[in-house]
Amino acid sequence: MNRNKYLPLTETSFYILLALCEPAHGYRIMQRVEELSDGQVRIAAGTLYGALENLLKQRLIRSLASDDSRRKVYGLTEEGREVLKMDVNRMKHMVLQAENLLKEADGGRK
Amino acid sequence: MRRYRFFLDFAKEEEWLSEMIRQGWELTGTGFGYRFRKTEPQDTVIRIDFRIFASQDEFLNYRALFEDSGWKHIAGSRTSGAQYFKRMSSSSSEDIFSDALSRAERYRRLSRMWISMSVVSLVALLLLALTGPIDLRALVQPKLFYLTQGLWEKSGAAFWDAFWFETPFALFRAVLVYSFPLSLALYLAFAFKSNRLYQQEKNHEQSI
Repeated sequence: MNRNKYLPLTETSFYILLALCEPAHGYRIMQRVEELSDGQVRIAAGTLYGALENLLKQRLIRSLASDDSRRKVYGLTEEGREVLKMDVNRMKHMVLQAENLLKEADGGRK
Repeated sequence: MRRYRFFLDFAKEEEWLSEMIRQGWELTGTGFGYRFRKTEPQDTVIRIDFRIFASQDEFLNYRALFEDSGWKHIAGSRTSGAQYFKRMSSSSSEDIFSDALSRAERYRRLSRMWISMSVVSLVALLLLALTGPIDLRALVQPKLFYLTQGLWEKSGAAFWDAFWFETPFALFRAVLVYSFPLSLALYLAFAFKSNRLYQQEKNHEQSI
């Protein structure tokens, strides 16, 4: 697996990128992250703003043209989508290995 | 109403401003001292972020995000750094930060601001010292604040007349000469202290 310098993503960055598979403005991102995480992850405004600034700087997201002059709309860049996929694969691998070993361990105990 | 206070620690400033608004004094501005307006006592809290914005559009975008999540921007300008927010209702998010690291990072931005202030005053001090208006030797040799020719060779009444005549001017020069190194030292101390607050809050995150 080609390790990217942005991996592993933090839970916050992961959910923001995931929420941005469809372009959205800041508050919409907060709502989507809450939905996507079943209410487990709630990102407050100050934290979200800082995270968006970082993701913009890393060019994983960009700001798009917006109808609303007060609210910026953000979207994933190609690299952002790529990094998100790589992190999903990384976690898939972790989960697979963990499930196998835990199953074996449980089997041995019986 | 106006109050004069100085805080480096946002947590303490938030505590004070929250207490004020609970007593019915809502912050309206921070230009020179803190300005308040009288309201009914409000059962709410004030939170502070620290950011400077490159454009007015970005500043509006930032405030819209906070307002959408239930935090009204009550004081602070595009370039002022400190941004003050009031929690609007019980449906507002709990805080303006949801993790300790992002809460700590406002101190890092504050520290950077003090560092740039230090650099600016150091450059100003060096320029004034190298081009002549400020004679840094006067810091250790106060006699140099007096420019009257042959003043220190005079004696008796002639000396005292000339001495007292020039003293107001000499004091003015002294204030000017001392103010630069003093503000430089102060800015560096603020930069150091806010960086320490950043380290403390950041490590608080790791210890959880």
